[in-house]
Amino acid sequence: MRRKRGFSMERKKAMWGWIFVLPSLVFFSAFSFYPIINALIESFYNRNLLSLRPPRFVGWDNYTYLFRSRDFWLSVQNTAIFTVGTFVPLVVLSLMLAVCIMSITRLRRFFQLALYAPAVLSSVVAALIWLLIFDPRGLANQAMNALMGTYGVNYKWLSDTTMLRLSTIIVYFWKYVGYFTVLFVSGIGAIPQTLNEAALIDGANRWQLFWRITFPLLKPTTLLVSVMTMIQCLKTFSTQYLFTTAGAPTRPINVITLSIYNTAIKDYRIGRATAMSILLFLVMFVFTWLQLKVSRTEEVTFM
Amino acid sequence: MSTKKTRSWYLERVSTGAMWLFLILAAALVVVPLVFMFTASAMPARDILRLPYPWIPDGFYWPNYWNGLKGPEDDFIFFRNALNSLIVAGSVAFFTVLLSSVTGYGLAKFKFKGRNLVFMLIMATMMIPFEAIMIPLYMVAMRMGLQDTYAGLILPFLANAFGVFLMRQYLITFPDEILDAARIDGAGELRIFGSIVLPSSGPAVATLAILAFRSQWDSLLWPLLVVQSDEMKTIPLYITRYMAETHSDEGIMMAVAVLASLPMIILFLTLSKYFVSKEGLTSATKG
Repeated sequence: MRRKRGFSMERKKAMWGWIFVLPSLVFFSAFSFYPIINALIESFYNRNLLSLRPPRFVGWDNYTYLFRSRDFWLSVQNTAIFTVGTFVPLVVLSLMLAVCIMSITRLRRFFQLALYAPAVLSSVVAALIWLLIFDPRGLANQAMNALMGTYGVNYKWLSDTTMLRLSTIIVYFWKYVGYFTVLFVSGIGAIPQTLNEAALIDGANRWQLFWRITFPLLKPTTLLVSVMTMIQCLKTFSTQYLFTTAGAPTRPINVITLSIYNTAIKDYRIGRATAMSILLFLVMFVFTWLQLKVSRTEEVTFM
Repeated sequence: MSTKKTRSWYLERVSTGAMWLFLILAAALVVVPLVFMFTASAMPARDILRLPYPWIPDGFYWPNYWNGLKGPEDDFIFFRNALNSLIVAGSVAFFTVLLSSVTGYGLAKFKFKGRNLVFMLIMATMMIPFEAIMIPLYMVAMRMGLQDTYAGLILPFLANAFGVFLMRQYLITFPDEILDAARIDGAGELRIFGSIVLPSSGPAVATLAILAFRSQWDSLLWPLLVVQSDEMKTIPLYITRYMAETHSDEGIMMAVAVLASLPMIILFLTLSKYFVSKEGLTSATKG
């Protein structure tokens, strides 16, 4: 009798487990699993958004088209330039800022908040502000003229190929530098204080303290932040979209997401756009897998 | 010995000074564009692009804000668009918390066949970036007739793998004795969840809710795809309307930027501890 009751309790609990899990599964199926499978299938068809004819199976055509297309490789190149140009200075400078914040004794919270402030704004607002700063009569030219000792020179922030790429990098850097600084600060904060004290007693100076203790212990955090930033940068869209909407030339900053968007929405070529999406997915899959792996090892190191 | 000590003492002073200088310079550079936004929003356009930039506004120029609210077609659609943003971000935050905590609870506290498989499947969706599935998702939304509707803006974001993960980790340490005691007292499973489990997951819920709200308030790409009419636009789309116009007034643009940022600034000033909590930071990339 008692045994039977225990058995049914177990079954009841199992049933409730499924009931609690089921709603999420429905949503994940509809909005994650189905679209990614659908994307794989669509990438082998030549669907046109406006055409009434049923899509035709074209095999690898979309992919071979992309690999031969110069525009596609340009967007890959643009994304690579943006990613490397953003994530290297972002990681290096936010690490430096975090170390400085943790080395001073006063105003720590103030500096963190000041640096973090832009992350509170939406990316659309960030792009809007910088669009005015990069205006030929704007602050960026004034600052550059003052710095370089020139007068009235237009540095073409929004029209020259290199400068335009630099401009998008600056916007992104500005928005996220504080965010990653705070992340590093919490990483440094997790280092046991006794280690630093012991090293100081042994006569280590700050330089040695950083390179022998802080940095080696921060390696997992640095790795995690680097992969996270790379993933973020690969997905960049807003700044580039808004700058081109406001009239900046598209080609130099036509990153992969912008290219997917335009191929699907302006050219109506769904098949080609999904093939690009699948390629982006494969690249990001590798990075995300790396991130999960890295974050797991980080847990082990710090706990 | 003593000379060595003074030398290192000087070195210490110099390096501390350099760090302060570096921090002050960096903080100033980061804050300058924000100061620009606020000051320019209070100036007539002819002052904003004057050389050199006049940092202190000559009184507060209200027409920027008035015109920013009035919108490009004088129909005050800003309020409707702001309401849309609130509805979308608010419902995504609410339902994400609900779904994630229910699922996280189920995975943390109930044994059933296939539980690990379900958990792995959900975690696997973290590897699918939104940007990679947006076009197929858009086709799904079109087929379901979700274009230009609130449902179209909200539904795709309710299932949140990070949210499930966060809630599961949080609830896995919840004492089983309390749950069993409630069961013996005759409470139903739904009641146990609603009146015992959920109320005691405050911090995780707050972190997740703010995360979801922020990522929707900021969202541009999906609304660009789904929304067609001006009535259904969200705040980011309202701003892009201004950017697409070649001769928009710079003062109005900055006033709109300030108006769009106010809710986030207020939220940040009141709840900053949830903004910079470590879970929030590591996961914001998922949004």
